Amino acid sequence: MAGFLDNFRWPECECIDWSERRNAVASVVAGILFFTGWWIMIDAAVVYPKPEQLNHAFHTCGVFSTLAFFMINAVSNAQVRGDSYESGCLGRTGARVWLFIGFMLMFGSLIASMWILFGAYVTQRSLKYHRLISIRFWNTFIFHFSVVELGFRSGGTAQTWSF
Amino acid sequence: MYHSFLIHSSADGHLGCFHVLAIINNLGNLAFSLFVLLCFLHVQYWPLFVLFFYILSPIPYCIARRLVDDTDAMSNACKELAIFLTTGIVVSAFGLPIVFARAHLIEWGACALVLTGNTVIFATILGFFLVFGSNDDFSWQQW
Repeated sequence: MAGFLDNFRWPECECIDWSERRNAVASVVAGILFFTGWWIMIDAAVVYPKPEQLNHAFHTCGVFSTLAFFMINAVSNAQVRGDSYESGCLGRTGARVWLFIGFMLMFGSLIASMWILFGAYVTQRSLKYHRLISIRFWNTFIFHFSVVELGFRSGGTAQTWSF
Repeated sequence: MYHSFLIHSSADGHLGCFHVLAIINNLGNLAFSLFVLLCFLHVQYWPLFVLFFYILSPIPYCIARRLVDDTDAMSNACKELAIFLTTGIVVSAFGLPIVFARAHLIEWGACALVLTGNTVIFATILGFFLVFGSNDDFSWQQW
């Protein structure tokens, strides 16, 4: 019973060689996700302008997600491992602390957006704002997907240094 | 004037350079005229803000290509940032008319026309870069 999926393999697809283009594809997908998240937030702010419908403080989740996104992507894999030639302005430990703070901000804003979803909208049972519920949640969820995409990409960039 | 382009292309046996440029030019004109028609039919000038995104869209990629050379690993990061920003500009050009329509500033029919024009214009720009953008020194030999 244990290990019954060990011999499972994805079906072979020889049509396109993705290895060269992986970074570009990941950048495109991350861009689509990130900016779609922002436009969903702008759309929600436009359709529900009153503070009792959408409290303007809820935008801080998106702002902190964006800040954390840029913080995480500013640090490359090589800096964190200490492989690069120059140590940068913070050194290896500084890069790790920076990354840690970035991830904390990111996950904190994800948790905050879920709290807003459940605390402000679902429990109030206000059926008018159903669309808003999905909007709030998908927004920050999308930001996180884009971080995952760019993390995938930075893993690819690090491979160029293997001589 | 156009028959000289056809002669050029048929001598080679494949699409000549001028022929491709003429196609791209016609597509761009079609998209832009669709756009202007939209603004005059619906007497709303809000969609003209999308022009801002059309102009911005090739800029990050052009800057990245001029600024870095291909041999460095950092150049990949710069190019990927440029691709990321370009994708964001394209998404914004699609999102802006939708948000305008949901705010009832323009009608949904106008929004659909703007989105169609967007698709054609971005396909044109992409086609231009795929055909003419592949050499780095931007020499005039191809013309």
